[in-house]
Amino acid sequence: MKIAILNGNSNPENQKFDDYLDRLIKALESSHNTVAYFKLREMKIRPCRGCFSCWLKTPGQCIFKDDSRDICRDYINADFVLFASPIIVGFPSAILKHAMDRLIPLLLPYIELVDNKECHHMKRYDRGYPPIGLIIEEEGDTDSEDIEIVRDIFGRVALDLKSSCLFVKSTDISVEEVSDAINGI
Amino acid sequence: MQLTVFNGSPRGKKSNTAILLEHFLKGFMEIEGNSSEIVYIVENRDREKRAGIFRNAPHVILAFPLYVDCMPGIVKSFIESIKPLCGRQGNPSVGFIVQGGFPEAYHSRFVERYLRKFATRLNSPYAGCMIRGGFEGTPSMPRFMTRGIFSHIYELGKTYGKTGTFDDGLVARLANPEHLSVLRRAFFRFGLFLGLPHMYWDRQLKANNALKKRFDRPFA
Repeated sequence: MKIAILNGNSNPENQKFDDYLDRLIKALESSHNTVAYFKLREMKIRPCRGCFSCWLKTPGQCIFKDDSRDICRDYINADFVLFASPIIVGFPSAILKHAMDRLIPLLLPYIELVDNKECHHMKRYDRGYPPIGLIIEEEGDTDSEDIEIVRDIFGRVALDLKSSCLFVKSTDISVEEVSDAINGI
Repeated sequence: MQLTVFNGSPRGKKSNTAILLEHFLKGFMEIEGNSSEIVYIVENRDREKRAGIFRNAPHVILAFPLYVDCMPGIVKSFIESIKPLCGRQGNPSVGFIVQGGFPEAYHSRFVERYLRKFATRLNSPYAGCMIRGGFEGTPSMPRFMTRGIFSHIYELGKTYGKTGTFDDGLVARLANPEHLSVLRRAFFRFGLFLGLPHMYWDRQLKANNALKKRFDRPFA
């Protein structure tokens, strides 16, 4: 299985989080997966400026020629995408959200009614879009309501990206449990 | 009332959010003694400076467009810059304005829950959250179609300028439609059949000489 992992840990001093992902990647690779790993804080990803060039001027590609193109390429060719980030003020990091905002070139500007009910953009690529998952590291005051909010928002993100969010898991659980969940997809 | 508005649109001064705020602030400034300032998050990257502005303001409104079902990355970055103020006594009251491109307000309900919790984290009095869908196209619509919406936004600004909280009735009217009615869905499907919703985009693609490339799949 091809897996893309986006590490949104913005704090280089938080080695624990990176170590967790390193161990997870090892576990996934040892069970015959290919992992494309993106350590976002070391990459050049400009925030989306909402210009719609990726829909209307250079369809399918952002006008900014930065590292986000590699993410788009691996995202759309993956069988599963794992977002990962410590929770900061109740939500994953800004650098993860920057990377997520830059995924809209994967969609068309055109709008359709999903489930004959709700407006969403149409997909650009024919292939099935990869299901997603989220790994979080809780902060001091994270409670079950926060996790529910994050889970619901990522469910909506997945809906935008023509897929579903299979899990939101905290780094409190073992790496093996997460890799088993991914291998079970 | 002294109000500081943070405009979180990545398009800054040339944004739909700015147009929405113009109407809101026009109403707000009708009340004698009120004053307001606007801070554009996209132009103001200094974390400490914007935390300072937030800290010293008695009333704050954070306004932004919905990006991938949530706040844009730059707004999350702004929220992170005021993290040190969470739980502090005497934080400003906070209100939120979220506008989305899709017609249904429902898309913004999820981030609304986040924002309410964020206000609790700040220990800030919560002024409310205004949600408006279908705003991407609104400013380019003929005036007779937008007069009603803009006058509701103006009224919301005015009542907020008096009371410091968002009027529930106006908030509910602005959030209409929450979902598409069966009738609107049927209209939309019929429009799709005729290709009408696509024309909005195709016109712009054509102007950019990119119509032929519209279905490009550079990463296939």
